[in-house]
Amino acid sequence: MKVDIEQLNKSFGTVVAVHDLNLDIRAGEFVAFLGPSGCGKTTTLLMIAGIYKPTGGVIRFGERVVNTVQPRDRNIGMVFQSYALYPHMSVFENIAYPLKLKGVSKDEQRVRVQRSADVMGIGDLLHRRPGQLSGGQQQRVALGRALVKEPDVLLFDEPLSNLDARLRLTMRGEIKALQKRLGITSIYVTHDQVEALTMADRIAVMNEGLLEAYDTPDDLYDHPKTLFIASFVGNPPMNILPIQAALEGDAVILQNDALRLPVRSERALKAAQQHGDLLMGVRPEDVTLSADGALCGEVFVVEPLGREDMIDVRIGQHRLAALVTTEKRIRAGNRVRLDINADKLQFFDPASKRSILWT
Amino acid sequence: MNVDETLSAPLADLSPTTVVPPPWLKMLIQIARNCLVVTVILALLALVFGSILRPALEAVNVNEELTALLSWLLIAAIPPALYLTVGFTARTLRNAHPARALVVALLAATLVYGATLLWNAAFPAAQAAQGQPSLEMTFAQADSGVVIESIVAGSAAEQAGLRVGDVITAIRRESIDLAALQSRIEEEPLGTPFRLRVQRDGEEFQVTVNSIASATGAGNAALSRAAAGRAVALVVTAVGLLVPFNWLPYLLLGVTLLPLLLGYTWLIVATFSQETHGLLPVDSTGSLGGLTLSNWDFLTEVSRRGSVWTYTLNSFAIAVIMTAALLVLCSMAAYALSRMEFRGRRLFLSFTLILHGFPAVTLLIPIYLVLLNLGALPIIGEYIGFNTLGGIALVEIAFGMPFGVWLMKGFFDNISWDMERSALIDGANRWRTFWEIILPQIRPGLFALGIFSFVGGWNTYLIPATFSTGTRIANLPVYIQQLLGETNPINWNEIAAIGLFQMIPILILFVFAQEYLLNIYSGGSKGSS
Repeated sequence: MKVDIEQLNKSFGTVVAVHDLNLDIRAGEFVAFLGPSGCGKTTTLLMIAGIYKPTGGVIRFGERVVNTVQPRDRNIGMVFQSYALYPHMSVFENIAYPLKLKGVSKDEQRVRVQRSADVMGIGDLLHRRPGQLSGGQQQRVALGRALVKEPDVLLFDEPLSNLDARLRLTMRGEIKALQKRLGITSIYVTHDQVEALTMADRIAVMNEGLLEAYDTPDDLYDHPKTLFIASFVGNPPMNILPIQAALEGDAVILQNDALRLPVRSERALKAAQQHGDLLMGVRPEDVTLSADGALCGEVFVVEPLGREDMIDVRIGQHRLAALVTTEKRIRAGNRVRLDINADKLQFFDPASKRSILWT
Repeated sequence: MNVDETLSAPLADLSPTTVVPPPWLKMLIQIARNCLVVTVILALLALVFGSILRPALEAVNVNEELTALLSWLLIAAIPPALYLTVGFTARTLRNAHPARALVVALLAATLVYGATLLWNAAFPAAQAAQGQPSLEMTFAQADSGVVIESIVAGSAAEQAGLRVGDVITAIRRESIDLAALQSRIEEEPLGTPFRLRVQRDGEEFQVTVNSIASATGAGNAALSRAAAGRAVALVVTAVGLLVPFNWLPYLLLGVTLLPLLLGYTWLIVATFSQETHGLLPVDSTGSLGGLTLSNWDFLTEVSRRGSVWTYTLNSFAIAVIMTAALLVLCSMAAYALSRMEFRGRRLFLSFTLILHGFPAVTLLIPIYLVLLNLGALPIIGEYIGFNTLGGIALVEIAFGMPFGVWLMKGFFDNISWDMERSALIDGANRWRTFWEIILPQIRPGLFALGIFSFVGGWNTYLIPATFSTGTRIANLPVYIQQLLGETNPINWNEIAAIGLFQMIPILILFVFAQEYLLNIYSGGSKGSS
């Protein structure tokens, strides 16, 4: 089932939580809402679930406007961060609860609960209480409960945040595979960009109640339309440096008070046409150590990440993070020369905070 | 042995690296500081009682000994308090090294001795003033009066013409015996003139002698007090150092609990005896024994006031109605207050809090009017008006609501919103969510409130006593009060028995439900809007 959101607004008293949100979610699509805490992503999800009533705008399930439809009449399933299992009921009763409320016969309940539990790999835990289960098992029960009534839309509210890192990785893959297999339209709220990037077909990045971007993971990463997306998506985050660009022959000179960098690239040419101050973005993996590099600075901090070291280099007052192989054995205090992959540079207008390259 | 060595040698093991300042110095400073604080506080308190409150009381002609006694006790408490302070400060070290605890104990003794010396040096006048008033004579009891046994040579008494062998019969016209005379001398301030009526060889005459501070007596008293103080201090220090630290609170609690425990012991003993002498059962002649079950006859007897079972049933009815109503009303009101946003919610919450603190007794008259009017209602008026069980229960419920609502709200607040949202999405409506999902999770809270309401309803006195007349709907507490108010001699032992009888259901309830009652403090304390 497709979900359409038009001009959606929600305010609590004078606080605006969601402002003029427009989204279209195709049937069977997996969409992630990504943003820092308090950006309105959970509020939007709860409006889709029918817990909150929108202050303005329209939510459509298929062609049906569901603004005032009660949650129980929307045929949705939801998985919460806290799992929200009913502690006084057994696993079986938990999963069967939506069916019981629907008036499904006892026999059919048993069959469908068993099927749902088997899909989640918890078929042998049905007689237990939620308190006797591990976090991962509880999450599976919650998923089973959301799936058992064969919902049109599945909602996830940071479902993996309470799990340990290893389990999170496994569950991530399982949820994605399950969603693809069942083909249920899914909306997944998270503040963890890795989750969003790895799982979602499209990501809606939200910030302060506004939709910043709605794109595929690759587009968000390679063609960030705003400064916020550029700095929010990607780990470690993108370096942002204030800079001025000027044409000099066929090269573009990027410079500020501490550095001067001649580059030849299409992106830089485009930036050079824009006069005045610019913000230049460059991802740490696009900064490389190079004996004849144009940038020179002192290593301030070295963070070993295992496969690579992340080094924090000071160039004048500016800081530049770079990923380098551990073999170089860079230590804090070393002076290094760096080069930048000019084809991967991003440029932003400091006033509008929007990209100069992508619109 | 060098003191420095004993102090620093064990510490060297503990702290190989140089620490500034050294731990033992820190410890000493800490001990000194604690001692100073304790001394100053106690001395200030003593000053307040002895030099400010007492003269003030005397100025308005109230003659009492309590302030003086308190003042004296406080001063006497300084040495043991210092011992304690040092002992406690050193306690933490005892586990690390026993030898150091010993050193600290010696230090404590020194400190106490030093403090006493300092006190004596600083307040020599106070010390002298504390000398006992004396007439500088010793006395013995005789048939005719008090015989003078000896007189200090050159004393005022001798100069007044008294001799050994004289018999003192009275002070002014008030005849006295030995004990009365001695207590009079002690009680009157120094310098009081005593007009003694004296018999010698059949003649009777009157002599006036002023009391003065007796140097030897004062010295002796001070010495014995000091000795007693040291002894107490030593015992306290020993206890402080030897009893494991985690026992000490229990020790103190036990001591302070003693009066309560004795009271309950008396209650139980009294119900099974004819009379009691202290905690001992005695019979009518005053000798040990006299155990009886006759105090419990009220269980089967039907007296002028009716059977006790009528009152018990009334108590039970009030308690049950109250419990049931409070459980239903409070849980629903608290759910709404915890989960729903509506105009005036916060105001309502703070208002109920004020109501909780409202003294019921100030509302008795308005409530009386309300009950009278309720009683005038057709049909239901018969059950909830003035002088009905329903009416009493209604008032009790009203008074119980604020506390109950806040208590339950605390429990509801602890349940995550997700649980409820999940139920709504699963297909439940609001009512089913409340009934099937939320209520089962606050079962401990319901138990707690239920027990609390039941105990409250069972023991309630003010409302039934005010809004019931006669015996028809009076409950047990009212019955006991009626017995106390009788004009014929009160049988205290029977009243004790009825009191114990009233306690039995509560005791049973507490034995089985204390776990849930404890929940009040885990759930209820978190209540906030």
